[in-house]
Amino acid sequence: MHFIGKDIDQYLSQREYVDTAVVPLLELNLSETGLKSSAGASEYLQSLTALLEKQFKGRILLFPPVSYTAGADRTRMAEEISSEMEKGGFRHVFYMTTDAQWRSMESLKNVLWLPAIPTGDMDRNFKQSVMEDQLRQVLPLFLNEWS
Amino acid sequence: MSNNRVSRRQFLGYTLTGVGGFMAAGMLMPMVRFAVDPVLQQKGTSDFVLTDQRVEDITEEPVRVDFTFEQQDAWYTSEVTNSAWVYKEGDRLIALSPVCKHLGCTVNWAGDPNHPNQFFCPCHAGRYEKNGQNVPGTPPLGPLDEYDVQEQDGFVAIGAAKENTLTV
Ligand code: FES
Repeated sequence: MHFIGKDIDQYLSQREYVDTAVVPLLELNLSETGLKSSAGASEYLQSLTALLEKQFKGRILLFPPVSYTAGADRTRMAEEISSEMEKGGFRHVFYMTTDAQWRSMESLKNVLWLPAIPTGDMDRNFKQSVMEDQLRQVLPLFLNEWS
Repeated sequence: MSNNRVSRRQFLGYTLTGVGGFMAAGMLMPMVRFAVDPVLQQKGTSDFVLTDQRVEDITEEPVRVDFTFEQQDAWYTSEVTNSAWVYKEGDRLIALSPVCKHLGCTVNWAGDPNHPNQFFCPCHAGRYEKNGQNVPGTPPLGPLDEYDVQEQDGFVAIGAAKENTLTV
């Protein structure tokens, strides 16, 4: 489910089934050299999480990307986000990001780090098949966590 | 000459009509748009979307067939790719929606090794028979939806979703 009004109504009535939160973590970089790859990473992350949501709509709540700048204090962010997720009472929380700095963050469980693939210039069919390939790599991690 | 002069009262009258008319138009326009839009949108609704799946390659074993179409959301148009599970029953093509009737996850054919002839929902272990009938005792409360489906020049074309007609 998406973090939108309509889905939240359903979420509230089906909470015991929707036990998994997915939080995309996205670094914004507006520098001359970083802008393009930052946008590419954003596109990649959002396409992937949207596919994931479609696959597991009834079990995950997909949050909008939590965005921050390069210098952000990730340790503090990790604390804040995870404590907020705890309030939500999720049994499982996944963080998905293309930002390698989160890999070393021990306070966050289930960080899925994926190197961004720049899909922006691909034609539609190719992009679709690349993204589904990516999705196939991620799905087992969820099924594992749930089983 | 003084006849042509706009009196203060007339002037107010004109301007107020002007403003009032403007406001009325402001209110009417969205109403007209609501009324007209559905008509404008009708192009393409009953259309079938052609896929690149050959009909002759379809067997009795359901396969996933993707189809892409444009979807108009309130404020933007986007391309959406959906899929269907397509198989043959005799000569008849059947296309089922992969959207689980419990809470909307995507179901897979033979997704559970213990039930190789059923659709399986990985979210809460919902199961469906090949014709879409939900297996009692699993979370889904109804059968999978069905798509209108036809052959176009040897390829599968997917139409509108409808309630399952195979499971009476
Ligand atoms: S969404 Fe398919 S069983 Fe719950």
